[in-house]
Amino acid sequence: MKKEKCEELYVKWVDELLSPEEEAQLATLVEETPELEGELSRIREVAEAVREGVADSVEPPYGDFFNSQLMRKVDLEIASKTPAKRAERWWQSLRWAWAPAGALALVLAFFAGQRIGKPDASAAGVVDLGKSAPAAIAELPSVYFTSDRLNADVISDADGKVAAIVVSGLDDLKDDLDLSTASLGSDLKGLPVSYLRSKARKFQ
Amino acid sequence: MNFSRWITSKQLMAPAGASPGAEAGEQEVPDRKLIESCKNGDTQAFEVLVTRHRGKVYAMIQNMIKNEADAWDLSQEVFLKVWKALPKFEARAKFSTWLYRITHNVVYDWLRKRKIESDGELEDGLLNPADIAAGARTAPSAVDRPDKALENSELGDRINAALATLNAEHRETILLREVQGFDYKEIAKVMDCSLGTVMSRLYYARKKLQTLLSDEKGEM
Repeated sequence: MKKEKCEELYVKWVDELLSPEEEAQLATLVEETPELEGELSRIREVAEAVREGVADSVEPPYGDFFNSQLMRKVDLEIASKTPAKRAERWWQSLRWAWAPAGALALVLAFFAGQRIGKPDASAAGVVDLGKSAPAAIAELPSVYFTSDRLNADVISDADGKVAAIVVSGLDDLKDDLDLSTASLGSDLKGLPVSYLRSKARKFQ
Repeated sequence: MNFSRWITSKQLMAPAGASPGAEAGEQEVPDRKLIESCKNGDTQAFEVLVTRHRGKVYAMIQNMIKNEADAWDLSQEVFLKVWKALPKFEARAKFSTWLYRITHNVVYDWLRKRKIESDGELEDGLLNPADIAAGARTAPSAVDRPDKALENSELGDRINAALATLNAEHRETILLREVQGFDYKEIAKVMDCSLGTVMSRLYYARKKLQTLLSDEKGEM
């Protein structure tokens, strides 16, 4: 007899589940090996001891807390699933619009690619505010001068952040002017006195 | 202790740890009705289901991993997975088999992770309490809960110690068969193995248990 069949017979004998035919088969085995009966009897005793000795149900500690914790997790699970399910249903309802929407997206992507390929003034990061962005102009700072011969160009990037202010109409700086050792030359005499003094102290 | 006397004392203490509502007669609403309600999002029905089965799930996990805190957490994990998977549960299947299948997966995932994490380290779960000398300074000591009083009995301790030495598959097979009373086919479904494997595991696990218990004391 095969080993697997023997094991099955032993197990079923311990559990008292042998059919008459199987009982006959086991009897043959016991005849061949007389000590088998004693061994199986001891195994049956052990099985009964385990059955009786190990509790099939043990309440988890703090049963109420166990439930409340679990139900909180379940609530979180429900909350996390609900929007996703709604979105999924909405998404599924649009499945027939996929093909034309996909085609449209392809066409748009193609034209967008075409435009990106062309050189553009805005690509340099500088916006011609005078022509294309009147709304942004309002947010740019105003520059005031005491002299009407001065003029300022405010250069901004695409976000409206000022990158530079170019002032035109100023007198040329003299070639011999040394800023590190600046002295009160005739060009600076028109400035307020306190300012001039402050500058003088700073440079000393 | 005399074996038959021990059995009698055990029977007197049997209600300890029994899950409320676990008996079929106490069930006001059958599981399948509760499951239908759960499928419709009824969390109260689910809580009833949890209260009904948590004792068995916790006992099974506790007997498998021998750690109360982790058994508590894993039981939570099992029931959360049950909630998530309930929509897929088919009414023709037996709920308890399905529940223990999930429990099996959770426990084996945990055992796998624990093995990876503690690879090369000394694992407490592998220690056999019987190997520690009673008077040893390092012998762990703890005050048991009343519901563990049975385990404190001489034979109960020996059975638990012997079960702990079995490998996970053998231990689970024994627990499902002897303690939870599953039939062979149900065990095969829970453990996702063939009927022949169940028979083989059951035979060798019982034989090993018998050897272990008779080695300690000649009574069995």
